[in-house]
Order: sequence, then structure tokens, then C-alpha cells
Amino acid sequence: MRRNDPLSRIVDGLSSLKLTLVCLALLMVLVVACTLAQVNLGIHLAVDRYIRSFLVWYVPEGTSLRVPVFPGGGLAGGLLLLNLILAQFRRLELSWRKAGLWVVHIGLALLFVGEFATAVLQVESNMAIEEGQTKSVSEDYRRMEVVVTDATDKEFDEEFAIPDALLKSRAEIADPALPFKLVVRAYHENAELSMGGAPSGATMGVGAGMSVTPRHPVTADGEQNTAVALVEPVLKDGKSLGVYLLSNGLGAPQGFIHEGRSWKLALRLRQYRHPFSLTLKDFKHDRYPGTNIPKNFSSLVRLKDPAAGDDRDVLIYMNSPLRHGGLTFYQASFGKDDTLSVLQVVRNPAWTLPYVSCVLVALGLLWHFGLMLKKSLGARNS
Amino acid sequence: MARMGKCYNGPMRTELSSLVVFSSVFLMAACGDESITRARVPKEETPAAAAHGPGDGHDHEDHTGHDHAAQAPGLRWTMPSGWKETPGTGMRLATFTPPGGLKTEGTVVSLPGDSGGELANANRWRGQIGLPPTDEAGMAASRTKLTTKAGPVSVYDFTSEGASKTRLIAAVVKTGETTWFFKLMGDAAATESARPGFMTIIKGLQP
Repeated sequence: MRRNDPLSRIVDGLSSLKLTLVCLALLMVLVVACTLAQVNLGIHLAVDRYIRSFLVWYVPEGTSLRVPVFPGGGLAGGLLLLNLILAQFRRLELSWRKAGLWVVHIGLALLFVGEFATAVLQVESNMAIEEGQTKSVSEDYRRMEVVVTDATDKEFDEEFAIPDALLKSRAEIADPALPFKLVVRAYHENAELSMGGAPSGATMGVGAGMSVTPRHPVTADGEQNTAVALVEPVLKDGKSLGVYLLSNGLGAPQGFIHEGRSWKLALRLRQYRHPFSLTLKDFKHDRYPGTNIPKNFSSLVRLKDPAAGDDRDVLIYMNSPLRHGGLTFYQASFGKDDTLSVLQVVRNPAWTLPYVSCVLVALGLLWHFGLMLKKSLGARNS
Repeated sequence: MARMGKCYNGPMRTELSSLVVFSSVFLMAACGDESITRARVPKEETPAAAAHGPGDGHDHEDHTGHDHAAQAPGLRWTMPSGWKETPGTGMRLATFTPPGGLKTEGTVVSLPGDSGGELANANRWRGQIGLPPTDEAGMAASRTKLTTKAGPVSVYDFTSEGASKTRLIAAVVKTGETTWFFKLMGDAAATESARPGFMTIIKGLQP
């Protein structure tokens, strides 16, 4: 007998077909809104605001007010996943007759889990390589890091990379291996640097004569922020080594010498180091004969991974990426008169889930409709 | 969507807790990315050549972002034999590497205006090698003046104190509203060896 207590009513609501339809409708609206929003926000910010969020917020211009106006993809997708799981357990009988539907539901649930996992775990960066150049580092154009480098050694630099998230959230940053801590005086995600004007607060380095005007972070896909950090190295005895203005817009090296060790400070695009290298042997930009219409872009690279015993040529072209070391390298862009290739580097531990999901859904539907067909043919024959 | 069948009262609590565990794992994984990372990097990989513009895959522009010409607009120079020049990024226009793997490096930076004045810049350089600030007289004692085709150049020479000495030679030249800074900095002995080549660059500056 069906129970009628509040918990059962909630579970009934959460597992209802009406909720499924509402969630699907919400997701369709979100996809359309997100697609339109890409015009002004760029793809990454639009996806973050509409799809990879629990609520879509409206922020009136010039205010700090945030008004939730619509459920985000995280909420609609999460509800749909919960709805799917509850409906499966509450309404589907555990039998061979319904096995196809079970597999379809598991496949769909996996698709949602895969998207959540991708949203949280995926790391994207880019590797720009010129022909003849070898690289084992990729960079994230949308994130920054402050790097403190002990440049004393003749052969090696010892780098301590501090991600922008720490610079935004902490007032002081320390590491046991550093003889000083970094006091974060200010961090601007985007700013304009100029000479003269109101002092930035920097007392050392190239930024001492500069002023900083904070700007809204850029959103278009082709633009890049000029991040600015004002940091103050402070020794363990409390002595300040001055305030430095660091920015990815400044190429000038800044630093100091402390107890015979040479330290450098910089703010740069976030870097990811890989235990293998790629050498660009040739980049090709094929066009249709007699036109400038691109036909194909491809990068012939030499992959060297001593640890894995890999040393081979790989051709990367559209829809044919290189997968190695848990990373996927896609042909993304190019430049410098076709002598520079930009590869998008994606680390997504959940990349196989959508494929597994599609296979499960296909198998489940085949099983289910096969059974239905068999049943229908049996009924006709009898 | 699948057709609904017979009611099945399964272990709902277990499913909900599985979701919570899933979410927690994802959140922990996300947080784990935000910590200080340490890396040992060979010197030759360090140059600032890392800064590139966004590669969005749609336009046909040069995606290296700040791709300065080897000879930046407004000033030209010539590399002495064996010296290597690599393009810089941001305000750094170029990096000069002397021959012989010397532990010193030359840089070119151009900034609008006078960039805070001579004394402020001299003290900034002194600070970079751990020297205390100086006054006008101290600055004048460290300065020599040259005349080049690009105009008068002030050259400052500072050496740090202590057992491991660092030397910094900086040349400053103004062209119109722009101030150019050519700097050679590194191990004192290496900088001394590279000094003649660096000064050849400075003396050969042309508008």
C-alpha cells in the first residue's frame, strides 16, 4: 500500500514523470540562453554561468546585488539525475523484461555523472609550439599564478607556483621551503597599468612608478586579462623586502638577492608541466585549390616520453587528437604564417563516460525494443 | 523516457548517500588543485617565451600575443658575435644571452615617460641585488655617460655585497616619450665577462 507521510510525498514528487519533463524543459531553455549569451560572455563564462552553476544570477549593472532568476544547469541536471535514480528504483521492476530500460537509465545517469565529473575535474590548457620547438609545458589562458623562483643554481630553477585562487582567498602565503612569506596586498583579476598617476603601493621593482586601475575581467574568447598582484615578501624575523607589483603584462624580471640566493618574482599564465615533450616537426594549413578556404590543419609532432619508452611521430589534425599520459591534445589554432601551432590540452579523467553512456543507452534500447518486437510478433502469430 | 512500471521500494537512503559521496569526492578533487606547486625546471626552459595569447581556434592571427620584433619600433641594435637574442613578452622587448653559457642575462624594457626618474630607478636596481638605497651623489658615482646615434645614454654599474656577488649594469636612453632600459644582470664574474659585448650593443644603438 502506498504510504502518505511527508517523506513519501517528497519522494513521489522527486521521482515523478512531471519533474522529468520540467527538468528537461529547463535544460532546453538553459541551452538556448547559454548559446545566446556566448555572444557577449564568450563560451567559457556563458557555460559557467548557465550550465555549470546551480542558479543563474542577475546582477544589475553597477551594484553588488545578485538576484537568482533561473535554475542553473547544476540544479536542473542534479534534480534530473535524482529523479532518474528514484524513478528507476521506485517504478521499474527488477526483471529481464525491464532489463533494457534499466540499462538505458543507468546509461543516462552515467551521462549526467560524466558531465558533473567533467565540470569539476576537467583542466584545459594550451600548448603553442613553433616549428622546430620542443615543449613540455602547457598554459591556461584564463588562469594566472604567481611564481617565486630560486634562480641561484646554474642548471636549474626551483619554482614555487601559487595559483590565483590562493592569491584571491589568502592574505599571507607561506611554504616551509621558502625563507620568506608572501603578504598579498592586493590582487586584481584584470587591471590597466600606466606610468605615473596614483601610486600602486609598490615600493620595489618595475612597478614602483606605476599606477593600477582595476577593470572588469574580460569575457570574450579572444581576450586575455592583465592580472595584477601586489605582494610583499616578509622574512621570518618580520623584515619586509618591499612591495612588488607583478603582472602578466610585465615582462621585466623582478626579484632580489637574499642570503646569497637569487629570487625572482613574476605573475604569469598558469602552467602545467608534463613528464613528456612534444616537438613540432611540421604544421600544415591546407586550402582548397585556388581559394583561401581552409581544408585541413594538421601538426606533425614528435612525442618523447622517456618514462613510458615512447618516441614516435604523431599527426594531430581536426577530430584526430593525440591521447597520451591522461591528456588529449587537439589541433586548436595556429599563427606566425603557419609556422606556429596551438594545441588545446585537456585533462579529463571522465572523458570515457559519455561514450560508455551512449553504448549503454544503445544496448538498452536494442534489448528493450527487441523484446517488444518479439512480443508483438508472438502476439500476431498466435 | 522509459515507460514506468511496477513500484519497487528499493534502498533509497543508500542511493542518496551515494550521491553525497560522489559530490564530496568531486569537491575534494576540485579543492586539491589549489595549492602551491613546486617544480625544478632546467634553466633553458625558463625564458618568458611562455606568454601566449588566447588560441581560440577561430581567427588567423598570430596567437603568441606579444610578438615583438627583434628590433623594437623606435630603437635598433646589433648583436655582437655569439650573442643570442630572443623576443620577450609584455614590457620586456627582448632577452640577450651572451655566448659561453655565462650566468648572466641581458634584457630590454621600454616604458612610457621617465619611469619615476633616475634616482628611483637606480635605487630599484640596487634593491634587486640587495644594496641599500643611495642618494644623488652615490648615483652619480656609479654612472657613466655615452653618446650614441640614438642619443645620450646613462650607464649604471652596481655590484652586490657578500660572498656571492651579483652585478647589474643598466643603460638608460630616452627616445621621445619613451625610456629604454637595457640591463645586464647576473653573477659578478660572468657579467664582467659579458660586459664588453653588452656595451657593444649599447654603443651601437640607433634610432
